[in-house]
Amino acid sequence: MICLAGYSLHKTYQDKGQDIRVLINANLEVQRGEMVCITGKSGCGKSTLLHILGLLDDPDSGRVIINSAELSSRHVNAHKIRNRDIGFVFQFHYLLEDLCARENVALPMLIAGENKAKAFKEADSLLELLNLQERGNHYPNQLSGGEQQRVALARALINRPSIVLADEPTGNLDPHHSAEVWELMFRLNRDLEQTFVIVTHDRELARQSPKTYELKDGMLY
Amino acid sequence: MNPAERLFLQRYVSDPKRNFLRFSFLFMILGIVISVGILSAALNLFEGYERALKSVLLDSFAHIRVVSAGVEPLTASEADEALKKLSEQPEIRSAVPVLSSSLLAQNGDKARGGMMQAYSWENGNENIFAKYVKKGSAEIAPGNVILGHYLAQDLGLALGDTVTVSFPRLDMITPLGMYPNQRALTVSGIYNSGFYEYDRSLLIGDLEDLRALSGIESGFSSLELRLHNKYADSAPGLAHRYNSILGKDAYAMPVINTSLLSLVRMQKWLIFIVFSFLVLIAGINVISGVLTLMLDKRAEIAVLKALGASSKTVQHILGWQVTLVCLASVILGQLFGLLISWGIANQNIYKLKGEVYFIDKLEIYASPLNQIIIFAVASLLIWFCIRIPLRRVNRMRVIDLLRNP
Repeated sequence: MICLAGYSLHKTYQDKGQDIRVLINANLEVQRGEMVCITGKSGCGKSTLLHILGLLDDPDSGRVIINSAELSSRHVNAHKIRNRDIGFVFQFHYLLEDLCARENVALPMLIAGENKAKAFKEADSLLELLNLQERGNHYPNQLSGGEQQRVALARALINRPSIVLADEPTGNLDPHHSAEVWELMFRLNRDLEQTFVIVTHDRELARQSPKTYELKDGMLY
Repeated sequence: MNPAERLFLQRYVSDPKRNFLRFSFLFMILGIVISVGILSAALNLFEGYERALKSVLLDSFAHIRVVSAGVEPLTASEADEALKKLSEQPEIRSAVPVLSSSLLAQNGDKARGGMMQAYSWENGNENIFAKYVKKGSAEIAPGNVILGHYLAQDLGLALGDTVTVSFPRLDMITPLGMYPNQRALTVSGIYNSGFYEYDRSLLIGDLEDLRALSGIESGFSSLELRLHNKYADSAPGLAHRYNSILGKDAYAMPVINTSLLSLVRMQKWLIFIVFSFLVLIAGINVISGVLTLMLDKRAEIAVLKALGASSKTVQHILGWQVTLVCLASVILGQLFGLLISWGIANQNIYKLKGEVYFIDKLEIYASPLNQIIIFAVASLLIWFCIRIPLRRVNRMRVIDLLRNP
């Protein structure tokens, strides 16, 4: 069953008066439970594609389908879809500095309107799943880079989204922590059948994924 | 309130140092504290002035005066009749027949015009000026006089000194001019009501002394009616009503200056409105503080939106932080205002000019109602100022924030 799809996606940026075409008729389908990697050179438009698929940006033309519904970032319920159906992991962890790890993880569930007790209980079980149970009360600046990214991953998973979109999730990590996070994502995909779309420039890591696209000259291969 | 908003609110309250002590808030806090402080001090001082003036007007003056309907003074029988007719009126606290006459008070080469009054205490009425006799005795014996303290000061008189009073006798005109009745009286008390007009012109003497000096052998100039304080503001209406009771021989007129009190009250609220604009100006700092906060928290706003928070939720999360800081600043401002007004009321450098302001001492009164009004108005103005920049959150696109955090 297709849970995420992009059809005929076009996107052009203006830079110093010049048109830069980053997406040209890009097409992509992601089945539920799949792990899909998108690779490509830096600046080729991988993040743009991910932002469009995650309803953070809009294509100049083309369609984005999430769970059979055609959507865009301007859709009146786009924020609810982002909260409920999509989990984001960015290159930089973007954890909120004023909240501890546990609160950061619980945040999407609280935004959805769930009560604090339930959200914190869920956050605790996710932190345990990711071996971070001891770090729940630590603030982001008290965590290592790998831990920060794992907390960000837990935050992306808390509402049990249909898809997790990860934009260079290990881009800021050393090889050891990078391998740790990749292993974790593979495990979540295998054990929980969590759907992942991961953008990375690391072809070696992407090769481990069952399905890989390469973005080249604005098109997906 | 969304549970996420509640979480942030709890965070702000539980860790104020981390969340409120930001450099970008410093000028915002200072602006609010100073403007609310000035507003609060002005209102405290005006309230104090209004209350002091009202208290003096109520305590040291008759509220209604009953005079003869003709040109002659009230005869003793007319006064008795009027007292009898008014005795049933529940608003009246006391009614005292009084004789008064203009005079010239002298001490050596110093002379001042004044008004001497003498009360008839036969009916056991309260001595209405006793509480204002600050030096000497409030009891009047023949040959003694109580002077207003400015009058005593102008004439260079102290307790036990002698003041010469001269009354022009219109009935004793000689080829050399008007013949004045003169008498030396001993100063037995100094009267200080705080009301300038009284303190600079009043002499209170013995009734028989005044009769002898003024040549008014019987009767009274007026009846001085004092109302219970709660009825004081209704003096004009009550005087009108008493006229229908008194009949054609006597006429009641209000003495208490209700229009002066209304003027002071109106001035107080005008000052409040004008100084509220100071809070509005401080609100500009608030707008700038919120904009700085939004710039500081661009990444946080992006993440919240990416995680599915609506613009409204993001506005509330940011808004609560600034609102709590501003509310604390308003309260600090009110305390600062109390401090300023206390300092002004207790300084000895500047005193009110009695001839201009009627009273010569600045007093403060921090009425709880006024404090609530200041808090409500300042908070409302600041709330608007917080709302204005927060509306920009609607137009902030996650993608722009993520690309340029």
